[in-house]
Amino acid sequence: MPVIAVDAMGGDFAPDEIVKGVARASLTTSIECLLVGDERRIQVVLDSASYDPAHISIRHAAEMVGMGEAPKEALRAKREASIVVGASLVAEGRADALVSAGNTGACILACARQFRTIKGIRKTALASVYPRQTEYAGQDQLALLLDVGATVRCEALDLVQFAVMGTAYARRISKVARPRVGLLNMGVEEFKGGEVLSEAHRRLKSLPGIDFVGNIEGSDVAKGRADVIVCEGLLGNVVLKLIEGIAEVVSDIAGDAVKQRLTWRIGMGLLSHGIREVAHLADYTKYGGAPLLGFEHLFMKAHGRSKARAIENAVKVAAKAVRDGVPQEIAAAIQAIR
Amino acid sequence: MTEQANVPAREAERPAPWARVLSRRRPLMRPGLQTATVVYRWDLDKTYLKSDFESLRKMVRMTFERAADKVNEPGVVALIRALKQSARQEGRTALVYFISASPPQIGRAIREKLALDGVEADGIVFKDQLQHLMRGRFRYLREQVGFKLAELLKARLTAPEGAIEFLFGDDWESDPLIYSLYADVVAGRLDPQALREILVRLRIDPARLAEIDAHSHRLSAANAVCRIFINLERRTPPARFRSFGTRLVPTFNYFQTALVLHQESAIPVRAVVDVGRSLLERSEYTPYQLRNSLDDLERRGHLMPAAATALRGDLERATILPPSGRFVRWPPRLWQRLCGRRRPSGAASRPPVAGPADYARLIDGWLASRARSAGEEP
Repeated sequence: MPVIAVDAMGGDFAPDEIVKGVARASLTTSIECLLVGDERRIQVVLDSASYDPAHISIRHAAEMVGMGEAPKEALRAKREASIVVGASLVAEGRADALVSAGNTGACILACARQFRTIKGIRKTALASVYPRQTEYAGQDQLALLLDVGATVRCEALDLVQFAVMGTAYARRISKVARPRVGLLNMGVEEFKGGEVLSEAHRRLKSLPGIDFVGNIEGSDVAKGRADVIVCEGLLGNVVLKLIEGIAEVVSDIAGDAVKQRLTWRIGMGLLSHGIREVAHLADYTKYGGAPLLGFEHLFMKAHGRSKARAIENAVKVAAKAVRDGVPQEIAAAIQAIR
Repeated sequence: MTEQANVPAREAERPAPWARVLSRRRPLMRPGLQTATVVYRWDLDKTYLKSDFESLRKMVRMTFERAADKVNEPGVVALIRALKQSARQEGRTALVYFISASPPQIGRAIREKLALDGVEADGIVFKDQLQHLMRGRFRYLREQVGFKLAELLKARLTAPEGAIEFLFGDDWESDPLIYSLYADVVAGRLDPQALREILVRLRIDPARLAEIDAHSHRLSAANAVCRIFINLERRTPPARFRSFGTRLVPTFNYFQTALVLHQESAIPVRAVVDVGRSLLERSEYTPYQLRNSLDDLERRGHLMPAAATALRGDLERATILPPSGRFVRWPPRLWQRLCGRRRPSGAASRPPVAGPADYARLIDGWLASRARSAGEEP
């Protein structure tokens, strides 16, 4: 069974919800979790939870990086921070993957310092799944968007590598035999979006092993045209947050509508089952976290607001990715296009 | 997996290569344990047997189960055998008793099962459910506190003088409460009047109440109960048992129980090795999982750091725990020392100091939980 290191001190609800999530995983799976953080605080939370000690070990780390801290400065000052210790445990082979809900910048920086990138990879990418409309029966309800924040700006070759990494991940984790890849752009025409995107389009079109469906516009992101959408980190992050924001606004509007008129309330009541279904589909806690692809080791970034269920799922997805050999699959795919 | 007694006793006693090293390490005997008779009182269902009585149907099926079909809790057989064997080797007397709220009709199957497992029981007590059925007193069918407390006190009256006791139960019913009441009554910390008030609040069978009253008056006070072990079969959070004091040790598996018993000088390291090996060979545990169990016990404060360190060394040599190579700890420790920051030593969350339990609060909690889950506790 894979050993998953979990940063117990990272996240808005750390360490309580992180430790509870690991406790839940210890009861429902045989994954061995290595909690990294303040041993005393972790044990206090464990004591009040149902858990199986056979599947949990603790590595004490005296410091932690706060959610609002500047990543570079924090890592320079805190060498015993839980995220640093966690990443080093994975790098040394004492754990197979790392999960954290902590400061994203600090997580990526800690991994960049401790992990080696896969040979040939220029930039790593943070990949996130999101719910989308399906076009045919049996199509996965989730699509993969990368990069969503590990980079800011990219070159054409980086976008091509993101496509290869995303394809490998979707093939292994989502079990999509031949994922369709789209390039996020401001128009479907090949020449749109400037030099970098045009070049990326040209390369992806001629790349064997990639089922490239062309440019994807913002309006198509939530549709089922592509299983993997690639873009630079700045754009990906904006899109992801926009999807989350819209979901929250729609939920608020529905809540207000219920208070306004009796007829609306009745209407919302009739729609409640459908709304619950949509909310369930959009529930990020189900998907665990976003994998950071491109390193020889796997890092799973859970949402900062993650609670126990999200952490439990992040641990499960990380273990699945390790078992299915995602980094090895990516390495082989990158090697094939070189 | 079941723990059938298909390993001949002689084979179990054959010295292993590491045995010579371990035999040099004799446990530091707890004062009184060298000469005294030690009594081990075991609950049966969910403590010794992996019984399934969550529904009436399962309860009925359990009644007709054959001995060979009954399944043990992992490691329990190895532990009971070790308790007897180590006492024999050290010239002490160890008595093993079972107490069960199951009807005496299953007695034959239970005795056969114990014989199959190679467990020498010095006595078994069952609850006469038929008597309640005949009188239409259905409320008392599931009542355990009165029955078990009365039987424990009766047994104590006939126990050898100066005998010390270890009690074993589980987190499914009322064992933590019953055992704590028993320990405090025997120690003279709970006077008969206070006990009576508690039992009235618990609405136990009046006939049992009178019996308990009579027994408790006849007892001469002695701090006899060393430890109460609660097998966390339901994975109840350990913090819920904190109010019972340090005397009660919630354990997640019998390897943890064996570690505490070794610390209490009740068994040698070799017995801990036997329990660990039984879990490795028959219950799909790995050495890493056993190491995690040991670490957990130390963090919860039930295993002192010095004892834990010594045990780690011994158990690694006996290949029960993995070699510490994979999880070498010295570089970070060295770094912490150089920086003047040290890992918190010893127990991360020590349980509160031992003392008579606050029964008023305990009973409130117990009654509330019983209302929630129809008689299940805690």
